[in-house]
Amino acid sequence: MSVGLTRRNLLRVGTVSALGLAGAVALQAQSPVAAQDPTPTVPLAGHSGHSVGAMGIDMPGFMGEIDHTFNGFNPTDILTDFNYGDRVSTLENGQTLREYDFIAGDKDVEVAPGIFYPAWTYNGRIPGPTIRCTEGDHLRINFLNGSAHPHTMHFHGIHPAGMDGVYEVIQPGETFVYEFDAEPFGVHEYHCHVMPLAKHIAKGLYGAFIIDPKQGWPNQAGHELVMVMSGNDIDFDGVNDLYNVNFIPFHYDRHPIKVKVGALVRIFLVNMLEFDLINSFHLHANFFYWHPTGTNLTPSEYTDTIILGQAQRGMLEFTYRYPGKYMFHAHVTEFAELGWTGVIEVEA
Amino acid sequence: MSTANLPTPQPAPIPPTGLGKTIGMFIIPLVLLAGVIALFFYTNGAGLQVEPAAPIEALTFERTVMRPGEIEFHVRNTGPEALTLAQVIINDSVWQFAANPSATLPRLGQATLTLRYPWVEAEMYAIKFFSSNAVPFETVIDVATTTATTTNRTLLSFTLIGLYVGVIPVFLGMFWLPALRRLGPRAMMFLMALTAGLLLFLGIDATSEALEQAREIGTPFQGIGLAGLGIVVTFLLLDAISRRQSTIGRKESDQRLAVAFMISIGIGLHNLGEGLAIGAAFSVGAAALGTFLVVGFILQNITEGLGIIAPVARDQPSLKNLLWMGLIGGGPAIIGAWIGGISYSQPLSVLFLAIGAGAVFEVAYEIGKLIQKDSTKHPRPVTIFAGVTAGMLLLYVTGLLIK
Repeated sequence: MSVGLTRRNLLRVGTVSALGLAGAVALQAQSPVAAQDPTPTVPLAGHSGHSVGAMGIDMPGFMGEIDHTFNGFNPTDILTDFNYGDRVSTLENGQTLREYDFIAGDKDVEVAPGIFYPAWTYNGRIPGPTIRCTEGDHLRINFLNGSAHPHTMHFHGIHPAGMDGVYEVIQPGETFVYEFDAEPFGVHEYHCHVMPLAKHIAKGLYGAFIIDPKQGWPNQAGHELVMVMSGNDIDFDGVNDLYNVNFIPFHYDRHPIKVKVGALVRIFLVNMLEFDLINSFHLHANFFYWHPTGTNLTPSEYTDTIILGQAQRGMLEFTYRYPGKYMFHAHVTEFAELGWTGVIEVEA
Repeated sequence: MSTANLPTPQPAPIPPTGLGKTIGMFIIPLVLLAGVIALFFYTNGAGLQVEPAAPIEALTFERTVMRPGEIEFHVRNTGPEALTLAQVIINDSVWQFAANPSATLPRLGQATLTLRYPWVEAEMYAIKFFSSNAVPFETVIDVATTTATTTNRTLLSFTLIGLYVGVIPVFLGMFWLPALRRLGPRAMMFLMALTAGLLLFLGIDATSEALEQAREIGTPFQGIGLAGLGIVVTFLLLDAISRRQSTIGRKESDQRLAVAFMISIGIGLHNLGEGLAIGAAFSVGAAALGTFLVVGFILQNITEGLGIIAPVARDQPSLKNLLWMGLIGGGPAIIGAWIGGISYSQPLSVLFLAIGAGAVFEVAYEIGKLIQKDSTKHPRPVTIFAGVTAGMLLLYVTGLLIK
């Protein structure tokens, strides 16, 4: 076997294994180069989801796997992880009190296999915990700044000036209690508001803030998913190198989101992208009802693509009629090939 | 006290020295140096806090090979420490690459990075490799085209390139010899000055090219220093050879022949560097060697043949000597094209260009000495000025055709 041939085989192994084809292990064993090289070939585990690639097409995507245990969070879990309150009680006036504990911290996060980004986090994860409550609830957020830098929590919603998390900068080691009523219902976000703002957001200090309407959403959902779109400026030049949903690029491309045929899928979509003006969401082989900002029970549009500016968000509802694997991605297509691509696997 | 009484100061007596003692005295400072370095490491920078906040990493792209559906980068770690390449983005798309022998490169280590990518002929590609410390290394393929692989056929084509840009023009220029014989002493002086002008221009051009490439090679190779080394050493070497020859008492015509040979060696070394650059450009597809470009090279290099024969125009050089001079002057272009086409290396290219520059500068200096000798009998400063200017202008104008 000539050197060139070996290299070509190795490359094929690298691609094929990423696509999760059975038998690639045998190929890999044939390549003497693969054994001594830590990165080019991708381990097989957990790659069965690279659906389109499995059809033998070269697809954009990472080499290797991300250590979610090291990161301390997994985007698959974040999709359905709603925090209704660390402590829930009823106030004397009958209002529900939801208390949340938030700690800001500094943490290295593996954003691409082998590449560690010095992130800033709420509760050790990006996006931060998804706050979920009902319109009219009383919220109390106990914030401790455990980071080496000053931070705040700024909620999109209606609240008094002193609770806005802009001028009351919380220094390292200090605490603050944000307290307000949850309104209006809809899909919102919270983020740090210390200057320079773009830096504090891009480093990871943001999360989804969902307020359900008092009477609940009109349709019964089979799946509720949170998707926070953002970018990864890993070399700090003010330009995003990678794009993502829930901070890890290509995650749902490698690990498809499983839903059932005929079940209503509700996505709470938030755009926390910095440095780029717009982001978008496109669903394959289907159409969805779009509720901008989630503040209206009647959808404004029936479409398959929406465009969002920075901090814009909303709610999508759709149902898949046929089983199979369907891509969803930013139709700002360069974002798609730089990480903002996922797969929904519809099961019968 | 009278100064007259003072004894005359005696030179300090030279202590009796054994070889061992001499060596010992040379070694003592080195031992102390080793001690200081050890102390520096032991105390972690001796209070200088030399740990950088972010890792310093550097990667040099030395060669790009494009095959249908595949792009291969030959890279070298030119940073102070080992680095690991983690991901690659090509034209805004996260892609996969294979690294051979490894994606972790030791200091000055090399690797071949291969991307299976559906590139399109004549389009532009921007490639960004990220190290595991998220340091980006970027390179651009300006015009994508399949890299010529080294087969017998391309070896032949490299030979042809060398012939066209080196051998043929030099010999063509030498065909002016019969015409030069008819010239008077003033015209001969003009011709010598013209040759000096040509060589000075070539030397400046080659220096500029060497310095330009020197900036592209990795920091550890000290491109500018390497270029300086090549120029100075070549100049002094040729100068030493020429002085050694001139001490052997010979006829003036023999000395002129020696100068002609020196010119052909200098031009040959220059053409080696030129051939290397052309061969490399051809093999990486960076330069489309169009008909026009080759014609331009023939035009420019024909003046080199003229330069070689200028010192011996008044003599009767044998056909054998003329043949040798032409081969020495033009032939290296073929060798250069082979080296450049088959195993291109940027540091080597810088060195060859610098050697060529040093060589033509030295030869210009040799001609200057000849002119000086002739001028003592008949000073013709205006002729010299006009000749040098004409020589430099000639190359400038022909250069317009090929740059």
